[in-house]
Parts: sequence; structure tokens; C-alpha cells
Amino acid sequence: MTMIDEGRLRDVLREAADSFEISEEAIDGVRTQAQASKNESWLSHVPVLARLPGSARGLLTAAALVLIVGAISLPLLRSEGGPSQSASPAHRSSSGQVVSGTALKTATSLKGLPTTLTLTGSGETPRPGTSSTSAAASLAPKIESTGSVHLMVGQGKVSSALATLGDLAIRDGGFVLSTQATEGTRVTKSFSNGSIVLQVPQHFFASLVAQVQRVGRATSIVTSSNDVTGQYVDFEAQLKALDASRGQYLAIMTRATTIGGILAVQNQLDTIESEMEQLQGQINVLDNETTYGALTVSLAEAGQQSHVVTPRSGLAKAWHDAIAGFVHGFEWLIRISGPALFAVLCLGVLLALGRLVWRATRRRI
Amino acid sequence: MNDFEAWLQECYPQSVRTAYLILGNRLDAEDAVQEAFLRAWKFRDSLVKESSIRPWLYRVVVNTCTSKLRQEIPHRDRRSGGETLADVAANDDFAGRIALSHDVMSALNDLAAHLRIVVVLRYYADLSEREIAIAIDRKPGTVKSRLNEARRRLAEHPALRSEGPGDSTSSEEISA
Repeated sequence: MTMIDEGRLRDVLREAADSFEISEEAIDGVRTQAQASKNESWLSHVPVLARLPGSARGLLTAAALVLIVGAISLPLLRSEGGPSQSASPAHRSSSGQVVSGTALKTATSLKGLPTTLTLTGSGETPRPGTSSTSAAASLAPKIESTGSVHLMVGQGKVSSALATLGDLAIRDGGFVLSTQATEGTRVTKSFSNGSIVLQVPQHFFASLVAQVQRVGRATSIVTSSNDVTGQYVDFEAQLKALDASRGQYLAIMTRATTIGGILAVQNQLDTIESEMEQLQGQINVLDNETTYGALTVSLAEAGQQSHVVTPRSGLAKAWHDAIAGFVHGFEWLIRISGPALFAVLCLGVLLALGRLVWRATRRRI
Repeated sequence: MNDFEAWLQECYPQSVRTAYLILGNRLDAEDAVQEAFLRAWKFRDSLVKESSIRPWLYRVVVNTCTSKLRQEIPHRDRRSGGETLADVAANDDFAGRIALSHDVMSALNDLAAHLRIVVVLRYYADLSEREIAIAIDRKPGTVKSRLNEARRRLAEHPALRSEGPGDSTSSEEISA
């Protein structure tokens, strides 16, 4: 088989290619176009999708179909994958029991409180990074725990109780999310109260609740846990599906042959990447919530009375009664309008029937 | 934009000449390379991640050229709108060299586009077979067979078999 010599081929091609000078005008044209495309808005190119060549349009359609099928099937496959995963994305919820007493309404409209001290985010222990989610962690159950405890403490012991509670959280590897304390004065005979939000690693949450009860007399304890494993797995599956679609669009992009086509594909890529960022954010939030359990502890000094609404009297009571009477009357009108309309309609039908019967009877007579 | 300027100065000339050999028309080549550069620049971030940017850049150029060959150029006379080698030859002092180039272009134009592309990328752009495979999105084996086929056809082409006006080499130098 005879073939042309490689060296000669190189020479003749170089000769042919070098037969003209590169035009500076052409280079200027590229610069101008680059500047123009830099200033263009992506949104103005959306209709270009409709003008794509058939092959590119077909590829885009196929990619969209794969995206839809993947987004539907992947979560289903993942949810059937293991016994530890929930078959339904709905949350399983388990509420803790109320141990004793009724919840005190603390920090409500206490009059004559001269000083209010609010401390937020003491954060002695930094939160661990939540961006990396290992595959093993994704299979572990994701439980978020919250709770609230109302404590009665001795007089003048709110501050020390807050400090003790903070120490409890830090000892368990947690931190104090926020603290709020309101101090009263002896003159107005009001009482001190406060609240503190503690966050501890999930496995220390139950022991923290037990330890908190020893700080004072617990009048109310409410805890709840949510299993968000299903939701977490869903988010991860959606993220993977979107990532796969992104890869396909990138492959399409390398085959697109027009600027318009490229811009249309880029528009789709932007949308997908935006959705991916949102999902990643939601996953990070779930990670945060399932890494730490949050316990809100409300403190009040023993002997504190809940705020009692004094009954109105005199002119204020009369005005209030008048307004209430007017509203009640209006409500009554609205309530009876339905049955009244029904009654009118029935009456009309009966009258029409009666008239017909009467006419028929008269003819017979 | 300064990066773009440097990139333009470095890569534009050879890209235009490569596109010229593929398309056979200077204006079409400039048009195609302009489009390819804008596209490649737009997505330079994804290109930079690759180990070698060169085959990817040529991939964009080749795609644009292929698109022009398939969609635009068949609907008009390829040489009607631009400066052709014949026009260049008329004004060029190096008539012999231009005549040789004319023969080369004639031989290239008679090659099928898929053969022409691999020949130009291999023997003008100096891409390896692996790089050409990336540029045309085919396997290296396909590139090899296309190169052999193209060389065989060029060897049989009358314009390259016979001694041209500016060609001092004889047909015996076309070796087996």
C-alpha cells in the first residue's frame, strides 16, 4: 500500500497554511465579540433553545428526560435500599412525656423589671464542620432531638443556675447557644427569671435532660425526637441525580456547535447548579440539627406567680362588651344566612308546586 | 480580559491556519475560529481542569469547522465569499509556493472531511494520535486507521503525485 511520506506531508501542509497573513481585523473582531458576549445577559438567550439544531435539541430533551426519571427513581431505589431507612419520607416523630405539673408562663409581661440582660452565643465549644458527609454517615439514622425544661430555683439563684447549666453542656462536649436573664428588684417585688438554650451531641442529650433536673425543681419537661433519615436520604439522592444531569449537560456542551446552543446549555447548567446548592444547604442544616440536640431550659425563682389578667370594669368593660356584642351579632348574621337562603329556596319550590296543584285542581273543578 | 488577549495572541494564528486547511476558505476559517474562541473562552474554567488544554481547544475548533461544513458551506459556493488560494496566487510574488499550496488544498478538499481533519491535526497542528482522539472524540485506533487511509489517498491524488510548479521534489519521494 502506497502512502505519502509524513515529512513531506508536514512540509506541504505548512506551506499551504502559511500562504496568508493573519488578519489583525479578524483578531479585533474576536476581541469585540468577546467583550460583547461578556456584557450579554444569559436570560436574553433563553429562546435560543427553540432554535437549536435538531440533534442538539434531541440531546437536551434526552437529558431532561434522564433528569426527570433519575429524580423520581433514585429516591425510590434509595428508600428501598436498607432496613435502616424509612420507606416514607415523612418524619417519624416521638414526643417525650410531661413529667409533672403545668408549664409556668415565665417572662410574660412582668411589670417593673428595670434591668434585662441578654447574652447570645457564648459558644465555648466550636461546632464541627458539616460540609463533608461521608457515605457511612449517610446510612446512619439521622435523629434530631429537642426539648424544654421548666425549673424552679431558689431566690437569687437564677444566675448561678444558668452558669451550672452552661457547665453541664460544655462538660458533655456541647455549647451554650443563647442565654437570657431578667432580674427584678426587691422594691417591685418581682422575681428573676431566665432561659438558656443548650446544645449537646445527640448521644448526651438524654443524660443532659437528667442532669438539668437536678439543678432545680422541674415543673415541666417536654422532649421530642424526629427521625429525618428519610428526608436526608432523599436530599442526597436528588443531589446525586442533579450531579449526573450536570455531567450530561457538560457532555452536551462540548458537542454543541453554536454560541446560542452553548448559552442555552449553560442556562440549564446554572439552574441545576442552583438547585444543587439549595439541596446541599438543606443537607447541611439537617447535619447541624442531627449532630446536636437542643434543650431550652426556663428558670424562675420559687414563689413566682404567673401573670393574672385582672377583670375589666367600668367604661372599658362596657366598651369591650359593646364591641364583642357587635361582633357576635355580625357573626350570627353570617351564620344564619346559609340556612335562611336554603329555607327561602325551599319555600319558593313549595309555592311553585302549590300553585301548580291549585291550577290543576281548578281545571278539574 | 488580559488573559484573553494573551490566549488570543498565542493560539489564534495556528487555529486559523488549521481551520483554513480544514475548510479551504480563509473567511470561513476566521469565522469558525472566532466562534470557537468565544465558546472556549466562555468555558475556559472547565477546559483548564483538563491535563492538556490543547486538544480540547482543537476539539472546539474542529466542532465548529464540522458544523460549518455540514450546515452552512454546502448551501453555497465555498470559494465565492472569501479569498481563495487562486486569488492569493495572483497577487503573490512567490507564485510557485502558492501553486504548491493550491495543489495541497485541492488534494485536501478531495479528501472526506473526517480524513482531512485528522491529517491536518496530525501533520499541521502536530497533535499526537491520543490528542487527536480527544479532539475528535474517537478512539486512538480510529485515528490511526483514518490517518493511514488519508495518507494512502493523498499519495494517489494527482496533485501530489505529479511534480507541481513550485515543487522541487519528484514523485519518487512519495514513499511507501
